[in-house]
Amino acid sequence: MIPALAHIADASPRGRGGVRSLARRTADAIGHAVAEVLENDELAGGPGLMQALDPRVKLASILVFAVTASFVHSLPVLVVLVLATMGLAAASGVSVVSFSVKVWSSAGLFALLACAPSATAWITPGPVLIPLGPLSITAPGLLIAARLVARVIAGAGFGLLVIWTTRWTDLLRALSALGVPDLVVATLAMTQKQIMSLLRTVENMHLARESRMLSTGSARENRGWVVDRMAFVARRSMKTADDVYDAMLARGFSGSMPSLVDLRATARDWAWMAAGVATSVLVLGIDRTVFPT
Amino acid sequence: MHIPDGYLGPQTYAVLDAAIVPIWMIAGARIKKALKARQVPLMALAAAFSFVTMMFNVPVLGGSTGHAVGAVLIAILLGPWAAVVAVSIALVVQALVFADGGITAIGANVVNMAVIMPFTGFYLYRLVAGDRPGHGRRIVAAGIGAYVGIVAASIAAGVEFGLQPLLAHTASGQPLYAPYPLAVAVPAMALEHMLFFGPLEAVVTMGIVAVLARQDSALLEMKPAAKPLRWLWGALAGLILLTPIGVLSPGTAWGEWSAAQLKSVLGYVPTGLGKVGSLWTASVPAYAPPFIANPLVGYLVAAVLGSALVVGVTWVVGKLLSRKDDTPAPTGPPSDAA
Repeated sequence: MIPALAHIADASPRGRGGVRSLARRTADAIGHAVAEVLENDELAGGPGLMQALDPRVKLASILVFAVTASFVHSLPVLVVLVLATMGLAAASGVSVVSFSVKVWSSAGLFALLACAPSATAWITPGPVLIPLGPLSITAPGLLIAARLVARVIAGAGFGLLVIWTTRWTDLLRALSALGVPDLVVATLAMTQKQIMSLLRTVENMHLARESRMLSTGSARENRGWVVDRMAFVARRSMKTADDVYDAMLARGFSGSMPSLVDLRATARDWAWMAAGVATSVLVLGIDRTVFPT
Repeated sequence: MHIPDGYLGPQTYAVLDAAIVPIWMIAGARIKKALKARQVPLMALAAAFSFVTMMFNVPVLGGSTGHAVGAVLIAILLGPWAAVVAVSIALVVQALVFADGGITAIGANVVNMAVIMPFTGFYLYRLVAGDRPGHGRRIVAAGIGAYVGIVAASIAAGVEFGLQPLLAHTASGQPLYAPYPLAVAVPAMALEHMLFFGPLEAVVTMGIVAVLARQDSALLEMKPAAKPLRWLWGALAGLILLTPIGVLSPGTAWGEWSAAQLKSVLGYVPTGLGKVGSLWTASVPAYAPPFIANPLVGYLVAAVLGSALVVGVTWVVGKLLSRKDDTPAPTGPPSDAA
């Protein structure tokens, strides 16, 4: 459930320029992260092309797509891969707009900022497209930047498709079925649960602090408080580990982790995997023969 | 520092993805030996803590905020091998649940943040703290370990980025992945972390260690490091022997030009640089001792002299700190109030 407190219209103390307090901003960010995970789980349970696939096949095929995108060199083929992620999102009942916004606002924007200098004559000399003195945009520079941004968006898009169309529990079952040791899968499962639990604790800490504050507080005060609370979370994590282990023993844990995996791939799953591999080979063939770099 | 998919070419990410498999196997065996079956919840909680640490916004300069990685702190609390597993798990969960960091780049992110950072930070912490540190020395050691750990990780990331134009480019020389050469990528990553994220990591780690030392010092019990420290001396000797390779590479490191080199590039020497550049004359300029004619031998001798000087200064500082602060920290009652 989305934390109710995180969505109350706030009358929190504000600093210069109407900036909200650090406590409120952090609580909101954490509330948003928790809500996103819960919404993803809901989306993964809905109908759609990707949701209907066996998690092992989906994981393997997305890995094939991500690796294929990393081998592609030409911009037109990378653009086609970006469009393919949007097509798969649409076929899986995911809003193409929210999918694109998510990919662009995180990986895309960061890649754009990171590679922007490489588009200029300062880093990549060549014929100038947009004259801006030493920061003129050159044709080869723009191609380098566009290629990187397109590849990052394609890779991030395939990754996001797995996250948005697969329940975490199914992903763990897929990892287990693909040979990842049970102990690792169990640790991953426990980690996700503990992350959610600790995030709730941290969110409540920040909301509690905000409710006691009349001003946003100085940076020094806030830093001291944050470090103190991080130390508290560290201690609580270490102590909780013992409690969790005792609870595991009480429930009959004897050191082994029997898996209850019962995944069966259907003909459709195998057809999907074969089509995925064939598409990847085709994409790389076109990339190397039609658009040689 | 989370590298997304697309920045590293297959030649780089495949090697790093393959490299983490034996590292994980060794780490698994080491912590299984030390922690037995208790490892599952402990690793899960440590990984969750590592994840949550990155969600805490810490105020820094100019009203902005940043976040710490916490890998060195986890190494101090649980040992470096446990930190490898815990931070790796946190990075895998971040990539698979929160889309933070790429799927193909998981190996690179693990090598940088879950291997280089905790190992560098932990052994530096051990070196400065000694076997029975008091409050002050422990806190200073944690800060130095955290700072150097994150800077070392950022340099590794810079090297990974900087290698891309060399490893994968078009026929005309255009880079196909991360576009900046080593001369730009390494200083950019290192400076950003030396000036901004390094101090933040150090302040957060020192603060948490200070609170834990006051409230629950049992958590900071020194983890065994005698054998790995011997290994560290061996690694240092190996690196010193490899230093003459540096003489073989042409050119000067980016941004480290002398006045004469600047004049040959720019046609003049900036006035301020000309004045300040003559203030100090190094006793072994350009890593070439004046009394040795062979440049390879000279470089090797310079590496030995420099390493001995750094180790000597660290040892003296450690001794001074241990004299000042030689009483073990008292254990106080825990305080969990928010």
